[in-house]
Amino acid sequence: MHGWGIAQRIEQMSRETFLVTQGSLYPALQRMKRRGWIKSSWRTTENNRRARYYELTPDGHQQLDVERALWNRASGAIEWILGTRTIPEPGKA
Amino acid sequence: MSVIPDVIERIRTLVWRGREEAELDEELRFHLEMQAERFEGEGAGPGEAWRRSRLALGGVERTKEDVRDARGTRWLEDLAADVSFALRTMRRSPIFAATIIVMLAIGIGANTTIFTLVDAVAVRNLPVEHPEELVAIGDAYSPTSSGQGLTTTALSYPLYKDVVAHGGHLGSLLASGPTGRLDVIVDNHSGELEHPAGRFISGNYFAVLGVPAWRGRVLKATEEALATQSPVAVISHDYWTKRFHEDPAVIGRSIVVNNVQAEIIGVAPPSFTGEVVGHPADVWLPIAARDIMRPNEGRALPSRRFAWLLALGRLEPGASIEQVRTDLGAFIMRTMTENAAPDDLDRFLARKEQPIIESGSRGFSKVRGNFETPLFTIMIGVGLLLCIICANVANLLLARAVARRSEMALRLALGAGQGRLIRLLLTESTMLALVGAAAGILLATGANRALLAFASDGAPIPLDLSVGGRAMIFTLVVSVTAVLLFGLVPALQASRYAGASAIRSGTRSVTGGALGARGRRVSIGGLLIGAQVAFSVVLLVGAAMLTRSLRNIQGVEVGFDRDHLILVDVDINVRGYRGQELTSLANMMRERIAAVPGVRAVSYSENGIFTGTEWSTTVSIPGVQLADVTSTQTGTDNVSPGYFSTIGARVVEGRDVEAMDIGPVARVAVVNQAFAVFYFKGVSAVGKSFVLDDSIPISIVGVVADPRSQNLTSEVRRRVYFPYSARDTTVSNPTELRFLVRTADTPGAVVEQVRAAVISTAPTLPIDRIQPLGTLMRQSIREERLVASLASAFSLLALLLASIGLYGVMTYAIQRRTGELGLRAALGAQGRDLLQLALTDAWRLVAFGAMIGLPVAIASTRLLRAQLHNVDALDPKSIGAALAILALSASVAALIPAFKAARVSPLVALRSE
Repeated sequence: MHGWGIAQRIEQMSRETFLVTQGSLYPALQRMKRRGWIKSSWRTTENNRRARYYELTPDGHQQLDVERALWNRASGAIEWILGTRTIPEPGKA
Repeated sequence: MSVIPDVIERIRTLVWRGREEAELDEELRFHLEMQAERFEGEGAGPGEAWRRSRLALGGVERTKEDVRDARGTRWLEDLAADVSFALRTMRRSPIFAATIIVMLAIGIGANTTIFTLVDAVAVRNLPVEHPEELVAIGDAYSPTSSGQGLTTTALSYPLYKDVVAHGGHLGSLLASGPTGRLDVIVDNHSGELEHPAGRFISGNYFAVLGVPAWRGRVLKATEEALATQSPVAVISHDYWTKRFHEDPAVIGRSIVVNNVQAEIIGVAPPSFTGEVVGHPADVWLPIAARDIMRPNEGRALPSRRFAWLLALGRLEPGASIEQVRTDLGAFIMRTMTENAAPDDLDRFLARKEQPIIESGSRGFSKVRGNFETPLFTIMIGVGLLLCIICANVANLLLARAVARRSEMALRLALGAGQGRLIRLLLTESTMLALVGAAAGILLATGANRALLAFASDGAPIPLDLSVGGRAMIFTLVVSVTAVLLFGLVPALQASRYAGASAIRSGTRSVTGGALGARGRRVSIGGLLIGAQVAFSVVLLVGAAMLTRSLRNIQGVEVGFDRDHLILVDVDINVRGYRGQELTSLANMMRERIAAVPGVRAVSYSENGIFTGTEWSTTVSIPGVQLADVTSTQTGTDNVSPGYFSTIGARVVEGRDVEAMDIGPVARVAVVNQAFAVFYFKGVSAVGKSFVLDDSIPISIVGVVADPRSQNLTSEVRRRVYFPYSARDTTVSNPTELRFLVRTADTPGAVVEQVRAAVISTAPTLPIDRIQPLGTLMRQSIREERLVASLASAFSLLALLLASIGLYGVMTYAIQRRTGELGLRAALGAQGRDLLQLALTDAWRLVAFGAMIGLPVAIASTRLLRAQLHNVDALDPKSIGAALAILALSASVAALIPAFKAARVSPLVALRSE
């Protein structure tokens, strides 16, 4: 997928919750490339235009699993913390 | 995370930087177009869509910068930019850059030069397998001496074999000994004698060192003691190249060594020149060849009293040198004690010698013993010199930083970080240092050879002085240190200037200045000058002391006519001249030399003067109780009739040796004053007698005023001079013959005629050496001369640099105050007042530097104490001389700009503001 496509997907998938500056995507891609998580190649789009496409490398997939697990733990924890916090509140009020 | 893609990616972005940029452009353009199309699809006009697209991205240039940062090559790109900027700056002010580079080249070059010498002499390991495992037994500093009697400075052959059998934590042990001069005939037709350097070696020599044969084979263990009439020989690669032109047929060929046929069996590899640093061997011969090739000098192999071998052993795995020292040290003492004659043993034990067992990784070296301490002293000197140069360069950069204030302020105003500016300025300094270092290395490659030639003074010392990897690393470290020393302060200063005010004030003259030593910038300049003065004081005081010490040595009373003597050293052992035959040869030769025009008198002796040969014996004095065994020791020499009048020594009592003393029954001797005073304490020694081992008294017929026999630096030893003749006492017959030729004028002119006279008298008698005594004496103090002259040279250079620095600072300060000075002149100040003003300021800086430098100098000259002769560590004359020179040159440096300023008309000066 090319850079613009990725930006669109993030916007769509997050149901426009994340309206990040699109520009910050490219340095991030560059950093991931340096780490060997993604690789890039120039291809033509359906509309016959040249674009740089990015795809995950095996290393990248592995890293994705790691990050996903980390995120699940973190977000689970946050959810749990927020959850336990919200319970006593009505009683206090 | 793997490192490899990271590195590849970084390299890729660096190498294809242009393509990388183009691709980034294209990628972002594609993004913007797609985004704009989407906005258009949502109903925006083309212009509006494009604008919103850019907005969504968050700025094209900003994004590009972020991506560039993410590439991780930013610092490299910055560096490249800085380097090219630095080069441009250097090109813009070439004289400024050249001045700094030349100074740095001198400083770094001097350090590299001395380092290559220190490395070659004292640091580098032998080019053999695992040199760190080697252990040396014997005095590694005297690999070419051998001695009769019991000593631990070298091993006898039987003792070496005992040690090998004992082991003592050494897996293997080789031995090697000096050959003396070899007379070699390579070409049988011409029969011409050549004198390659040699070494007698044990059979396992090459095996222990792990050195394979380059051609042919190396020595076998069985060949070590094989007393065959045709021993084998291994030659060095260098000798093979130079003498045999790399002829492969050399293997199996015979050469004649000291009248003995020796078969060449192999060639050593190119890098290997033996285990004696500074004395590369051309020929290696088995130990057994010693007794065949030097048949007239006693048999060394069976003797336990002939110590001539040094040993190098390899530690067993896991063993330490301490273990060897404990175990072998005790074993050697025990073995020597068990096998010694009682007399020998008493003397040996009285000297309290211990076996010498040290690391052998650097091999043996006489040069190291001679030059190690002087070289380290010089190393400190060049270090100081570099410090002074760094201070000087720092001052120059500081001055330029002032000139670049507006530039720096502009950069700061445009958003450059202070850190980034410091980096830029340090890059400039590094570029200067690197160019300086490159020039310094070039300088060093020539200078170290020149220095070695100067140090060796006509007796070449072959050392490998190529500037190798280690020297390069050293130079790099020195350069980086130098950059930090001279670059950091100016960089910090320059980057600190506040923005706007500096831009404005850049064109305006600054009041105050170095003269008043007010204001921060200037006080740093003054501080640097002070530091230079301080370093110069240290160098000057050290140099003054070393020079005074050298003067003392050179001016020492030698007790003979040092300016009109030639020493002729002939080898009587080749043909084995002894007894009556030797005496008649000596007398005939003496007559022939005396007939040479310009020769006033000729005498001869066994040991000569300043030849490095010494004999000693034990005496007892009837009726005198001697405290210990060492006080029975006295040096001896055998001298011809008229010896003392010939060499110009003063006979203070009694008479010279005379012709009637010569003969087997004459039992008389002349003693020196040291002997007379030591044993007879103020009572006349003439008519007294002393006793040698055989207990027949020898009567003293004369006392001579202490002729120095071997060196200028140590105390004169007690000495007995016997008539040169065959004697049937236990004092051995003369085994050497050395003529001392007194000339009417300077000896240099008649050396060749004397040589011709010797050759015409005995064509086959080899002349080992024929030299004016002045040369020999100079060579005996070559270390002292080297250190003193280098220290003087460095300190004068330091003084010059400090003066130039001071001159620069004063010039700058006076220029800044031209207006003020003009005003003063207009108000009636005389030129003299202005000069006084400048002088006071200069002296203030000198006093400041001296206050710091003097205590350091005094503390550091303690390090020199061992090298000083008759000079106190707190020598007031040296310190006074150093300060006087410093004050004088500082005054000159200050007065030149002051004179110029005083000559400017007040009107012109006032207008300059």
